Amino acid sequence: MNIIVGVSDMKVSSDPDSVLISYSLGSCIGIAIYDPVAKVGGLLHFMLPESKLDEGKAQKNPFMFADTGIPALFEALCDMGAVKERMKVIVTGGAQVLDQKGFLNIGKRNQIAVKELLSKYKAEIDYEEVGGNVNRTIKLLIKNGEAWLKISGQEFREI
Amino acid sequence: MTDVAAILKDIDKLKPIPQVTHRVMAIAGKTLSSASDLADIIEYDPALTANLLKVCNSAFFGLARKMDSIHQAVAYLGMDQVVDMVLMNLGSANLKRAQKGYDLREGELWKYSVLSALMARDIAQSKGIGDKHLVFTAALLKDIGKVVLSSHVRNYFDEIEKVIREQDITFRDAEKLIIGIDHAEVGSMAAEKWNLSGRMVDIIRNHHLGAGWDEDDMELAAVYVADTLCMIMGIGAGSDGLAYRFHPNVVEKLHFSETDLQMMMASFGERIQEVEDLLSNE
Repeated sequence: MNIIVGVSDMKVSSDPDSVLISYSLGSCIGIAIYDPVAKVGGLLHFMLPESKLDEGKAQKNPFMFADTGIPALFEALCDMGAVKERMKVIVTGGAQVLDQKGFLNIGKRNQIAVKELLSKYKAEIDYEEVGGNVNRTIKLLIKNGEAWLKISGQEFREI
Repeated sequence: MTDVAAILKDIDKLKPIPQVTHRVMAIAGKTLSSASDLADIIEYDPALTANLLKVCNSAFFGLARKMDSIHQAVAYLGMDQVVDMVLMNLGSANLKRAQKGYDLREGELWKYSVLSALMARDIAQSKGIGDKHLVFTAALLKDIGKVVLSSHVRNYFDEIEKVIREQDITFRDAEKLIIGIDHAEVGSMAAEKWNLSGRMVDIIRNHHLGAGWDEDDMELAAVYVADTLCMIMGIGAGSDGLAYRFHPNVVEKLHFSETDLQMMMASFGERIQEVEDLLSNE
């Protein structure tokens, strides 16, 4: 059963029949985390790097921002029995429009925010595929932690 | 290179714009039009009337009472809102289908078109730019050319992808190079065939700000910024991804700070679900 993770959304699951999927990442970033022992996984699709932009919105929906969404993802997984040291972490998305050097380069800024937050959590990234000007879709199979990535226009491939 | 003339013939396969839309757009453009004139025109078209009432009564508006007539809906929601609904209705027949060449699932192009139209209209309104209904409609229809070009993009995708990678050009330039025509051009030709205004045709043709766009055209700027923000958010981004150019000077001309644009993304990020609900009622 596909569980769709929308823009500014997060889903966690321990149901072996479920597949978490997030379409169209653009400059947004998708972080998939899986604990192979507890067999629980989560997928966060955040849009912007910093919640200080609008704290009211962050409170209403912490999954919109990296600095509120990532802690929420770790917390939700730990509540389900996941242990940080066992977590497999996948990071993807963070694309940018051509010629988008400094101004409004949300893709790049999202990538930096993820690096900073994950190092704060002392979590290592197992697989990272970010940047470029492509649109990506990611899915995570809860039964075994398999992750599949698709660049729009291409087929899904296992990562 | 493909047979461009044959592609252009496919424009005729698009579902034509209903006559009532032209009349509604004419009314919307006049400052002295009354709400009751607008309702009268819409009620001549029973299918449109039924559809609009369904949308009015959907969760998107969350109205306390059910609307039984367009007159009531116009009085309750205001003219602008009802005009927007009529305009949204005009694109749906063509834009709802999946566009395999662009790797867009069913409804994706439609959802993106509606969101970018709402965003462009907000920009026009907040910056006091010209005709907000023109901006809304142009943003809504700007990618209609993709519907015509989709199967060709699918056939030539490997070549398109290769030239983008090797020559650092945009997806639109690659379409032009490999297929012989790009989706913005095809879209503007469709708009011409539908007798839409010259301004609409121009904005659709130039919505990626290719060569020769008028830097002082603020209506075009509003459409462009909305399109770019949607792309960054991943809305409607298919196999063409984010392979279009960013023009910071347009953002400067509109006096947007980076924070303003991020705020707009955050606000529209919250509205995605609302628009999905609205479209599922269409």
